[in-house]
Amino acid sequence: MDHAQDARATAKLTHNRIQNDLVDMSETLSRIPAGMRYYGGREAQVRRAVEATVISIFAGWSYEEIATPTIDYYSLFEHGMGHSQAHRAFRFSDTDGRMLAIRPDVTSLVARAAATIFAERPRPLRLCYVAPVFRREPQSHAEWRRESNQIGCELIGSNNGVSDMELLAIVYEVLQRLGLNRGCSITLNDVEVFNGIAEQLKLDSAARDEMRELVDTRNTADLERFLAPYAPAEACRDFARLTQLSGKRESLNDARRLLRNARSQAGLDRLEGLWSVIESQQLSDCFEIDLGDVSRLDYYTGLTFRIYVEGAGVRIGSGGRYDGLTASFGKAEPAVGFVFELDALTELLIERAGSILAAESAPDATRVTGRDLSALFTVAREKRALGERVILDFSGVAP
Amino acid sequence: MTSLTIAVAKGRLQTEAVELLSKAGFDFSNESLSSRRLAVDDESGSYRLIFVKPADVPVYVEHGIADCGIVGRDVLLESRADLLQPLTLDIGACRIVVAARNGASLDRFGMLRVATKYPRIAAKHFGARGVAVDLITLSGSVELAPALGLSDCIIDLVETGRTLQENGLSIVEVIDESSARLVVNRASYQLKAKIVSGLIKALNETLQRNQR
Repeated sequence: MDHAQDARATAKLTHNRIQNDLVDMSETLSRIPAGMRYYGGREAQVRRAVEATVISIFAGWSYEEIATPTIDYYSLFEHGMGHSQAHRAFRFSDTDGRMLAIRPDVTSLVARAAATIFAERPRPLRLCYVAPVFRREPQSHAEWRRESNQIGCELIGSNNGVSDMELLAIVYEVLQRLGLNRGCSITLNDVEVFNGIAEQLKLDSAARDEMRELVDTRNTADLERFLAPYAPAEACRDFARLTQLSGKRESLNDARRLLRNARSQAGLDRLEGLWSVIESQQLSDCFEIDLGDVSRLDYYTGLTFRIYVEGAGVRIGSGGRYDGLTASFGKAEPAVGFVFELDALTELLIERAGSILAAESAPDATRVTGRDLSALFTVAREKRALGERVILDFSGVAP
Repeated sequence: MTSLTIAVAKGRLQTEAVELLSKAGFDFSNESLSSRRLAVDDESGSYRLIFVKPADVPVYVEHGIADCGIVGRDVLLESRADLLQPLTLDIGACRIVVAARNGASLDRFGMLRVATKYPRIAAKHFGARGVAVDLITLSGSVELAPALGLSDCIIDLVETGRTLQENGLSIVEVIDESSARLVVNRASYQLKAKIVSGLIKALNETLQRNQR
């Protein structure tokens, strides 16, 4: 091998190494972290349209928009959501060493605002928001997003129980306006139904948690076995039926016969009152009683609901009453709220061809050209002043 | 049109699961079942079975691609999927155990090396006892690990115990019983309430009949 050849080979090798380094570099730059994504094209349009539609409905029910801090103290979220949820947040420390978190939840922030900056405002307070929330750990395999946009309402300081229907009516209107009210199911429960049983059986907090899990996963057989040491066999069988009590009004009647304690009965009374209003509004097709839904007992204090729509494998929204939360911010008052998952809604509506949102397309654009920039911009700005859509074409501009 | 899709774990459970479904009145032709097709419709065309690896059953059901699934409890404990488990099926009964070489003692301080296909179950089990473990995750033939010195013990699924015996291992502790479960997607449970509860009822009645 002569020198020239050798040099060429070395140069090529060096070149390849540099190329490889570049490839490595661009891999780390092009890679998107798990659970994060871009929106563009039709998806971005649909998402914006959904957001606008939902916010306009909130405004129609006199909910005032509130923007919350993206970063706040971790302890706020720990108070607001409970440790089991808050620990999923992205966390880091502030200059003074206090722990900060990127907002994993909006409700905690709204509740604090209600107790502080809105403390003097007349009640009830009606607040709504649209904001991304972030979680370092995704909630489940199916809910893989680590950044998800929540759009929701909070009704604070109004009568316990009586105002619940206001939120359900808003939820229904959202589904209706998005064309999702056929093939949807909004499931209702009152956490006091479960709490009454746990109290009656004198369960400690670990046992209560285990029972909650068995009810929540509808695991009737294991639940009956679990309850055996706490109650006579017949009572165990009755309590275990909690997992199967779902349906319309008749499920409340069944529950009344099985669950005799005062606390459960009070919960059933509230659900029955709510159900009567739902029936009077002829909305009972879309609603379902589900006494087995006890997923977030640490957070909710009365009504809880989940929103399911055909085509989505996971819930697209949820909500409930959380009378205990505002107390931890120094002003105890009743509160109820819900969120829709904006990204899940968008995904669902993209897949539904001919959804009502698809019809709104942008007006045709006028192509503006010209030989000199000054003339081009004069024309373009005139058209913009008339509200026309323009697209600038610089190809004819003299160099 | 398919109204309900059921994911069935391939392998150990598959035959028993299909048999149970047939007894419960779901009509899958032998011809389609014996083929290598991974998706099979029943005669009425309203039920579809899909056959997937056991660990993938919770994945399909949690995403709602399958409405229901039939899978071992061991897989559910490991996956921590957010699913409903309305029915215990009396098929695929086995135990999740800690096993070690015959006569070996695990009572010591320091680090215990554990080979397993179930790292989460293992972490939880030893975590609750305050034992520090080096988890060695394998994908099969776990019984070899202690004999070859890769680990001090294993956590694995045991049906008859023969494989353990033949590899010079014995059971130290039974962590849990595991039999097959019917799992249901949360959204399907609400949106297809009628057909899902029909399936649960049919399977339950068959199980009751079997017990008698």
